[in-house]
Amino acid sequence: MSKEFKIYRWNPDDPTRKPFLQSFFLDLTDCGPMVLDALQKIKAEVDPGLTYRRSCREGICGSCAMNIDGTNTVACLEPIDPDPAKPLFITPLPHMFVIKDLVVDLTNFYQQYKSIEPWLKTKRRPEEGREYRQSPEDRKKLDGLYECILCACCTTSCPSYWWNPEEFLGPASLLHAYRWICDSRDEYTEERLQAVTERMQKLYRCRAIKNCTATCPKSLNPADAIHKMKAKHLTSVHVEKSES
Amino acid sequence: MAPPRLSGMQKQVLSLYRGFLRAARLKSADDRKQIEAVVSAEFRRNSNQVDRKNFVYIEYLLNRGKKQLDQLKSPGVVGLSSFSVGGGQR
Repeated sequence: MSKEFKIYRWNPDDPTRKPFLQSFFLDLTDCGPMVLDALQKIKAEVDPGLTYRRSCREGICGSCAMNIDGTNTVACLEPIDPDPAKPLFITPLPHMFVIKDLVVDLTNFYQQYKSIEPWLKTKRRPEEGREYRQSPEDRKKLDGLYECILCACCTTSCPSYWWNPEEFLGPASLLHAYRWICDSRDEYTEERLQAVTERMQKLYRCRAIKNCTATCPKSLNPADAIHKMKAKHLTSVHVEKSES
Repeated sequence: MAPPRLSGMQKQVLSLYRGFLRAARLKSADDRKQIEAVVSAEFRRNSNQVDRKNFVYIEYLLNRGKKQLDQLKSPGVVGLSSFSVGGGQR
């Protein structure tokens, strides 16, 4: 059962050669079910120069995010389509600078995540000096937000992020911003909301394109979180106006 | 002598070069000379060897240069050097 894999290749040590799609033929009966297994087999047996990121092989680290057959997912959770007639296209995450083969430069993504200050900020000390308590109902509000593995699939699938990566934070960072706004233990909710909405570019460049929700490998809903964050901001602004 | 209008990419390359020279100014005199020598040699070599239309590679070099500049700006760093390992295999 031979399947064709067309994989994007580009080597900075050979800059005169333009990026191209290299074909590999693999026997699927001798290979694991996921795309990452195929990549490992190709690297081990055919071409050791094939470069990609990977770590946990179980969909929790977010390292192996790449574009497989047009969709951004993590390679370790994407099963190989066994149809031998269609080739499988593997390319790096779209509209990102390629460092080599399937490895892209995610420093901007990580800096944007850092800029929303993704840690607990409180003004008071914990009761009895032990831990900040939270009821089960409040903890339930974080479900669907804390599972994000920062794979960058959603952010690199957003056309608004493609055109403005420096200004727009992207669905992953905004999902995390909402996660910290939603956390009942965090006391800087207003400051966080204001930091994300002070300029039109960070949050309001989202045009509800919903590519992020469609592509998330963990089935999260960043578009919904962004929508709720916009609603929170707009309702809070209204309250200020009516008081004055 | 200089072209009448610089393209966006050319401006980026020049501003990166300026950034390196400004970072070098903040180091000690010996380190400064060594950094300036390495950086200007690298930029000159790339300007001669790299094809002007090879945008993919130029953007890759710009990105790499920005990261190296960030590292150079930190106070502990005293210089940069490089060495090449063997030849290309493929």
